Amino acid sequence: MSGAMQRPQPVTDDRDTGGFFAAAARGELVILRCAGCGRVLHLPRAYCAACATWQAAWRPVAGRGRLYSWTVADHAVHPAFPVPYTVVLVEVDDAPEARLVGYLPGVPELQAGQAMEAWFETLDDGTVLPQWRPV
Amino acid sequence: MIEHHHHRDRCAIVGIGQTDYTRDSGVSDLSLAVEASLAALVDAGLSAADVDGIVRCDMDLVRPGDLMEVMGIPHLDYFGESGPGGVAPCGMIGQAVGAVLSGQATTVLVFRSLNGRSGRRYGASPPGVEAAVGGQGTYDEFFLPYGLLTPGQVFGLVAQRHAIDFGTTAEQLGAIALACRHRANANPAAQMHGRPLSMDDYLAGRMISRPLRLNDFCLETDGACAVIVTAADRAADLPQPPVLIRAVAQGSTPSPQFGRLYPMLMRESITTLPTRAVADTLYRRAGLGPAEIDVAQLYDCFTITVLTQLEDWGFCAKGEGGPYAASGALELGGARPINTSGGHLSEGYIHGMNHVVEGVRQMRGTSTSQVPGAQTCLVTSTALPPGSAMILRAA
Repeated sequence: MSGAMQRPQPVTDDRDTGGFFAAAARGELVILRCAGCGRVLHLPRAYCAACATWQAAWRPVAGRGRLYSWTVADHAVHPAFPVPYTVVLVEVDDAPEARLVGYLPGVPELQAGQAMEAWFETLDDGTVLPQWRPV
Repeated sequence: MIEHHHHRDRCAIVGIGQTDYTRDSGVSDLSLAVEASLAALVDAGLSAADVDGIVRCDMDLVRPGDLMEVMGIPHLDYFGESGPGGVAPCGMIGQAVGAVLSGQATTVLVFRSLNGRSGRRYGASPPGVEAAVGGQGTYDEFFLPYGLLTPGQVFGLVAQRHAIDFGTTAEQLGAIALACRHRANANPAAQMHGRPLSMDDYLAGRMISRPLRLNDFCLETDGACAVIVTAADRAADLPQPPVLIRAVAQGSTPSPQFGRLYPMLMRESITTLPTRAVADTLYRRAGLGPAEIDVAQLYDCFTITVLTQLEDWGFCAKGEGGPYAASGALELGGARPINTSGGHLSEGYIHGMNHVVEGVRQMRGTSTSQVPGAQTCLVTSTALPPGSAMILRAA
C-alpha cells in the first residue's frame, strides 16, 4: 500500500442527519429546530421532548459563530491528517445551543470567544462539508 | 417514597484478583479473564462451583458463557452487563448487589479483561476510518471528517475549555500525574514502577492533543481484574476481612447526549462530567459527604478527568480543581489521597476495574500506599456519557 489514506467522508443520507449535508451541498448552513416550540434539536433528532411533537425542521443560520474550545493535534493518528493540525469547536451565533466542529491546518493563533465564519469544503467524492475559520 | 439506601452495607467484596499488567500479555483476553477470576476465588476461599452469577463490561470480548466453559462453573443463575466502556465497573458492582439482594444469585463474579496494548487500542482512531463515517445514530459524521478522531483529542478540548474558564495550568494537571506516579513507584505491580517522574519531566513531555501532554494520558495495558460480591452476612464467614459496599450509584447529566464520546461536546458545559450527578445520589444513598471520604480512586483516563472530578465530588469548588490538585492534597499524607495504586495514569489501564481492586485493598489495609486508618474509599467509573461510582467501607 502506498499513498495517503482517503480522508474520512461523512455519511450524508442518514434519516436524522442527512438534511445537514444536503443543505451544505446547496451552500447553505442549517440547524434542526422544533417548528412547534423553536427548540434547537442538535445533534439532530426527529422528536422534541420539550413540546412532545414530531415537527423538526431544518432552518438556515448565518455562517457566523464564536470559538468555544480547540485542540492542536501533535500526535498523528490518521494518515489523511498530517500533524500538526487544529480542531475547533464553534458555537453558532444563531443557535448557540449547537456547536459545530471545524478543521484548521497547522497551529493558528486562537482566542476563546473569537469570531468564526463558516465556509464550504468540497471533498474528493463531491461531498460538501461545512468548515470554520477565524474571521 | 422509595428509600434509596436499602442496599447500604448489605453486600461485600470478599475476593480480589488480577493478572500482571503488561504491554503484551501473549495470551488471549479470555485467558486473562480466567486468570484474574481464579485469583479472586482463591483470595475469597471459594471455588468455581460457588459462582452463580457473572457481570461483564459491554466492551469486553469475554462473555459469561466463555468463563463458565473454561473455569468449569457448573451452573449460572444470573448474568449481567454494564457500560459503556469505562463507566462499567462500579455499575457492574451495582448489578451484582442487585442480583444478590433480589435473590437472583448468591456469589457474583465481576470482571474486566483486555489486551489493551497488544490487541485493541482504545486510544487509536476508530478502526476502518477511511471511507464514509457516521449515520445509524453514531453522529460520527459531525466529528470524524474534521480530524477529531480520538478520546485524547476530545479531552484536549475539555482541558482547553477548563483553562479558558478557570485559568487551569499545565503544572496543576501535572500535579495529578505526579501523585499517581508517586504511588506507582511504591507498587511493584504497577507498569510505571521504578520510573520516577518529576515536574520538569512532565512539562518536557511531548504534546499529544494540546494542552494535554504525554503524561496526561493513561497507559495502554494488557491485563484483567476480577472481584467476588456476596451478601455481607455470608462475608463474615470467609477468610478475608469483608469490605462492605456502603452504596453504589449510576447516573448522567440532565443533557446526556448521544453515543459514547464525541456528542458530549454539545453539552452546555463540557467541564462538568456526569459523575457530578452521580455524586449527589451516591452521597445520599451512603449517608456520607465529601468530608467523610478518606481516600479516593478516581477514574483517570486523563489528568483532566481527575481534575474535574475533584470539583464534581465536592472536594473543592467548581473551577478550583487546579489549585486544589497543586496544593498537595492528592498525595499520601494530604487531605485526599487518590489513586493509591498509581491509577490508570501509572499502574495500568484496566478500564476502571483496577480502581475497584485498589479500593478493596485500602479497606483491608493492604495497599502498597496505605492511608493510615482509612475507613471509607470512593471509587469512580466515569468518562463522558453517564457515570457510576461506589463507596466502600471497612467492616
